[in-house]
Amino acid sequence: MVQFFSSVGTVFSAAIALRVVLLIYGSFQDAFSPMKYTDIDYFVFTDAARFISRGRSPYARDTYRYTPLLAWFIYPTTWQGSWFLFGKILFALGDIAAGWLILLILRSSGKMPLDRALKFASIWLLNPMVAQISTRGSSEGLLGVIVSALLWSVLAGRMGLAGCLLGFAVHFKIYPFIYATSIIWWLDDEHCPPKSDKNFRRPKTIYEQVVSFTNPSRVTIAVFSLLTFTILNGAMYYAYGWPFLQHSYFHHLTRIDHRHNFSPYNTLLYLNSSPTGNASIKLESWAFVPQLFLSTVAIPLALAKKDLPSTMLAQTFAFVTFNKVCTSQYFLWYIMFLPFYLPTSTLLQKPATGIVAGVLWVFWLHQGYRLEFLGISSFVPGLWASSVFFFLVNIWILGIIITDLGRTSKSQTKLAGNKKNI
Amino acid sequence: MKQRTTYIVCNPDEFNPDKLHVFDDSFSLVSVDAAKEHRLTFSLSELPQELYRVLRQCHELHIRWASEQPYSTIPPFVSHISPGLHAFFTPQKDRSPELLCPSLKKIFGDNLECESPKETFVNMPILSERFSSSSTSQYYQLLPSLDDLVTYIQQSLCPKSNSKCQQQASTLGSATYVDFDYDTISHALILNAFWAREPSEGSWTESISLQKEGDTIEVGVLTSEKAVDKEDLAFSGFLTVVGEDSKPSTSNHSCWTAFLLTDSPLAEPTRFQFPSRHHPLPQSTSSTPLIYTTSFKQPTGLHPSLALTFPASSLTPPDETCALHTYLTLPSFLFIDKYQLSDPLFLASLNLVFLRSISGATDLEAPDWVISQWGSAALLELAIPPQHNGTPQSGDWEVSIPLHLRYLPPNHNKSGLESSTAPWPVVFWACRAEEGSKMAVNPFDRVNLGYDGLFGPKTMFYHVPPTDVGGLVERIEVPVLDLDRAGYVEWGTVVAVVLGVAWVCWRLGVVVWRDYKEGATGVEKEAKKKQ
Repeated sequence: MVQFFSSVGTVFSAAIALRVVLLIYGSFQDAFSPMKYTDIDYFVFTDAARFISRGRSPYARDTYRYTPLLAWFIYPTTWQGSWFLFGKILFALGDIAAGWLILLILRSSGKMPLDRALKFASIWLLNPMVAQISTRGSSEGLLGVIVSALLWSVLAGRMGLAGCLLGFAVHFKIYPFIYATSIIWWLDDEHCPPKSDKNFRRPKTIYEQVVSFTNPSRVTIAVFSLLTFTILNGAMYYAYGWPFLQHSYFHHLTRIDHRHNFSPYNTLLYLNSSPTGNASIKLESWAFVPQLFLSTVAIPLALAKKDLPSTMLAQTFAFVTFNKVCTSQYFLWYIMFLPFYLPTSTLLQKPATGIVAGVLWVFWLHQGYRLEFLGISSFVPGLWASSVFFFLVNIWILGIIITDLGRTSKSQTKLAGNKKNI
Repeated sequence: MKQRTTYIVCNPDEFNPDKLHVFDDSFSLVSVDAAKEHRLTFSLSELPQELYRVLRQCHELHIRWASEQPYSTIPPFVSHISPGLHAFFTPQKDRSPELLCPSLKKIFGDNLECESPKETFVNMPILSERFSSSSTSQYYQLLPSLDDLVTYIQQSLCPKSNSKCQQQASTLGSATYVDFDYDTISHALILNAFWAREPSEGSWTESISLQKEGDTIEVGVLTSEKAVDKEDLAFSGFLTVVGEDSKPSTSNHSCWTAFLLTDSPLAEPTRFQFPSRHHPLPQSTSSTPLIYTTSFKQPTGLHPSLALTFPASSLTPPDETCALHTYLTLPSFLFIDKYQLSDPLFLASLNLVFLRSISGATDLEAPDWVISQWGSAALLELAIPPQHNGTPQSGDWEVSIPLHLRYLPPNHNKSGLESSTAPWPVVFWACRAEEGSKMAVNPFDRVNLGYDGLFGPKTMFYHVPPTDVGGLVERIEVPVLDLDRAGYVEWGTVVAVVLGVAWVCWRLGVVVWRDYKEGATGVEKEAKKKQ
């Protein structure tokens, strides 16, 4: 076991083998069983790609709610035969690349020995859930590589690249905009020191403070991200018009397809959006206030300068926990940050917390099963209570993450950051 | 107004011409066991202003209503539609049809959910350009009885003093199905009511008499015969036109003209045949007749499966060109996911071949209350058991149609379950016919049923009858949020979220406070060092 984690080759071979086996197994199941291994979303992507190949809009496919670029990426799936697997292979390669970047970050910023870094990178690389999600054809794996590349380029001081990746990530899936505040806040003079230390003095006036805040790194990343975001959206709007904006962005603001999910708001949304439920206040329209306050303001300001990767974990965790819609694939959004946080986490010493969350998750699934398959009206108290308990346990875990992060001294990441600039 | 009444005698052996009597101004029959069709043709000028104004907004309007009770069919009245109220409609160009929905509600009952054709009706799919003649939009709703129609006719159309009109209107209440047809070309409204049997006594004893001088009533008393050509239906029996002289008229307003071959209508029985679009199942060699049963598989959950069950031994196509089909009209709370029904393996596992057509409210995510359309209609081709020579299949053949439920509004006092109903689909073999255009010659031809327009003109339908046990409507319990138990959801959620936010802020506050203190001591130390 020790030897296994001492070689980059074995770990990555195992990660690749895991995905190859799943891909082949999936092809067999698809070919011979009426129950498909391939995710329903993958059929949405490939249908959209087919529409594109006929010169039509990808939004001609119902429930395609992504950037047209995704359909373009998997264009080869429209060629016959085994090309159908192209998208899954792309997503799986994205997984591997994300794992590689995680390893790089752990080695450089975390200054971990190789075997320890490989062990923690394996939380992502050898995670069966991660491998399954990408080989079933969900695009979340692609997001993993974009976000890990963003983190890597920020830590490596490549602000132009980081800006492009941030703009692209937000274009791709909106939610990565929450990372903008933590990255900007993190990029203070300690993490990218001015050229000459001699002239350095603490800014006194507000004007000086503003000037010193807008350091070159921050300006670069802001300009590049806004530029990338604007160009991509402009091009997509030019090519696909209003449906692009409607399906990629506005849909997420106005959606009422609250089929039950893990979100604590789910039952309330069902109640308030229906004609028979009299809402006293439009609570659901306020739901984004705590969500955005915590994930884009409070958490970055309090923690980003201590440890950027773990802060991004906390942000993502808060964003998903407080979201109006929360499904299992959203959990993938923060799994990729776990390798950065778990090495210093006290959570590993408190397995009970994880077990409680797991039990509640299963309890929720059971309530969902009772409703979906048995037709038992388990909305209240079953589904509601289990999603609220699930929420509260997530909050508890978020509290532990924050406390752990609070113990990290600034110098630790400062050293790592400085090392990047050498 | 023109009238035509046709009786198809159920059991020719028991029938005796002595039961019929023709007079100069009336026709009567005594205890005849028969199916009956009564067709009334109104010219627009005979209609009240109210109806005239609605019809002027229509290019084409076909209304079909069928009872929820199963009935035994007899040629030529063998076509089926799902029970409930169907409307097939093409608007008049440059005219907004704002009167249609209010009129439908006024005539068929206030509880019809019909806002306007634009919002509520669904567009009919056009599978074949040659079928530009079929209507452009479709409406459907379950409607157990025609009581409101009867009341409307009695109060708004019948003259107060005319008790005969009142009485005739009331007979519509017991009809098996009723059709209304209007189009701008014929400029006439045709009402066609059908009774599979006499509703109270089981046999007809009645007299049909002329309303006023100059009217005519065509009457036919027929029995079904075996046709030479398998695309034809053949009948023999007695045809007459009450109110005309005994010689057959050559004027073309009589449907019977083509078939009246004898000089004296009732003296000699007449025999005739014509190509028909709709056919009964051919006499089967197997012992069990082909019928179907519809049910929801239990438990239904939120993804109910509609099962159609057939006796496997009798599922042999009438002809090698035939394919078994089902046509579903689904109220908006149920829907089909067409993407799910695209995989051949998945379809085969359910004994389906493919989804030939789907139209209407097919949004995969919307809850029921945001759907303005009435629902959706789908045509599916069904698989049949493999045909081995000589070895009949035993047992049942089950076809499953995967459906999905929309979220329905939360309710009170029903312990979180909302009882909803869906009509049985219709099932038929669709077969290629040699003669297409001649089918319209059939005086009993029935088109605009929803599914007929989805096939080419050279298509015959062999109708599979539903089992005659129970009604043709399936009940399904849809789980919804129980408002009686949901009082705490609103404040409970708020409390949980506020607690959550407060806890996270508290943890963040502790971190910031500690940093601040450390920073302060750090600065102090630095200051002390400098000193």
